[in-house]
Amino acid sequence: MNEDRSKKYLNPYLGGTLLGLVLLTAFYFSGRGLGASGAVKSAVVASVEIVAPTHVETTDFYSNYKESHPGGPLKDWLVWEMLGVLVGGFISGAFAGRLKLKVEHSPKITSKVRLIFAAIGGILFGFGSQLGRGCTSGSALSGMAVLSLGGFITMAFIFGTAFALAYIARKLWI
Amino acid sequence: MNMRLKLAMAIIPLGIIIAAVPENTTRPYKLNAEQMLEEVKEGMQFVSPDEVAHMLVQKDPSLQLIDVRDKDSYDKFHLPGAINIPLADILSTENEDYLNQDVTMNVFYSNGATSANEAWMITRQLGYINNYVLQGGLNYYAETIMNPQKPKSTSPDDEFARYDFRQGASAALGGGNLNAATESAPAAAKPVIKKRKKKKRVAGGC
Amino acid sequence: MGPLVVYEIISANTNLVMAFIIGIGFGFVLESSGFSSSRKLAGQFYGYDSTVLKVFFTAAVVAMLGLLFFSLFGWIDLSLIYINPTFLYSAMVGGAVMGVGFILGGFCPGTAFCALSIGKLDALSFIGGLVIGVLLFTEAFPLVEELFYAENMGTPTINEFLNMSRGTFGLILILIALGMFFVAEWAEKKFPREEY
Repeated sequence: MNEDRSKKYLNPYLGGTLLGLVLLTAFYFSGRGLGASGAVKSAVVASVEIVAPTHVETTDFYSNYKESHPGGPLKDWLVWEMLGVLVGGFISGAFAGRLKLKVEHSPKITSKVRLIFAAIGGILFGFGSQLGRGCTSGSALSGMAVLSLGGFITMAFIFGTAFALAYIARKLWI
Repeated sequence: MNMRLKLAMAIIPLGIIIAAVPENTTRPYKLNAEQMLEEVKEGMQFVSPDEVAHMLVQKDPSLQLIDVRDKDSYDKFHLPGAINIPLADILSTENEDYLNQDVTMNVFYSNGATSANEAWMITRQLGYINNYVLQGGLNYYAETIMNPQKPKSTSPDDEFARYDFRQGASAALGGGNLNAATESAPAAAKPVIKKRKKKKRVAGGC
Repeated sequence: MGPLVVYEIISANTNLVMAFIIGIGFGFVLESSGFSSSRKLAGQFYGYDSTVLKVFFTAAVVAMLGLLFFSLFGWIDLSLIYINPTFLYSAMVGGAVMGVGFILGGFCPGTAFCALSIGKLDALSFIGGLVIGVLLFTEAFPLVEELFYAENMGTPTINEFLNMSRGTFGLILILIALGMFFVAEWAEKKFPREEY
């Protein structure tokens, strides 16, 4: 089984080392770590601004955000980084022959159930990442690399809660 | 060989090294020699005694005088509102909040201008902004503000205006002669604080 | 001397190009490590696959060591690096909410984008959820504002908090990580599952 895995995916320690080097590059060039949820937020704020410009002006949250991100989403570091992730993931998937439209789910549930739970998970993750000032990559991974106390706390709570609820949610996965 | 062991063999020694060596706390110079020369040539750091006296009279809250002489000299005499940061302590961390900020206009002074200028050069090279030097130091300040010389009767009017201001300032600040009225103090040109760009921590996060 | 963008060695626009290139690296490594599979990610919580733990902690340790050595050599000024601020309660509650999202959705935002790039439709659904979640947060912001700003601790690092040097904590983190890897490999042997 182990041999089979090494052909299929990168060795996790090797992958981790490479990911660490990517993260280090981000720190060296840009002085910041990786992130993901911030790109979504940037896109959300920009879309709300197009759909309801007056709402943006009258809501403190949006106007504060716009003030701290003067260039809009096209000048946002994380937006470009996430575009890169799409390209990078595609390249890797193409090399490994994993490009395929599908819904991945446990044999015990249907695709529909999987999609619904993915959406619920997404909503919770979106909300939590804004409350916790960053997601797994932005707060936990990059935070741990710079030894930020907040990064370790966020990491502990993400994985702690997920472990605690794993038994309840086991049908979704096993 | 197991990848985990390989990883462990690489990172444990590195971890031990990093735990054993002291942290690099040296503060790098942020301006290079050319940039420094440019600033020195321009002499932007100097503030004239008149400007300082004017700000003192106006009780301008943005002015912070910093005495860079030793503590004894400071205790014997210092300008009103000045704090004491001896040149030898200019790099100590507790003084960093005073020196590395963008709110007040710090003016270093010493007896002459040399020590004050040295303090400015060190802080400037660290990339700090808003630090200035009292031109001519305390000696020149005493000469011009505390005991101003009456200009010759043939001098242009603004010389007289300056003289009146100096006398006024001198009286208001407890200088030498106390024989002039203070209301004639003209508005000296406000020193232009040229904002220099400060290197800031990168904003990031999700 | 880094970070290069702060020292104006690279311009703001070059920085965005770098973001794109770094993103490509990020996406490539995530995908080739298997982070595009939600069942592989979720496997972490059932003991049958500890890829997440291994990649995550190896990356954190490598980047941390890199930063500490770069600082030691004077290549990077750590005081200019972004350190995420610690707001104790929002970090805890936010982390817990994300944990629930993780176990139900099987992705985190970064891996969802990565999975989308190779055509996983559940990732698309997750990203749709993300957008709704972020929108909910921004619209409900006044309700959570108090929690969001509570217990602001500034930007402490964990070694300051534990009152030890960066390097000492770094070594401890390395040993903890290796200890966890050992346990994880033991668990993988104990709860084997087939590859997805």
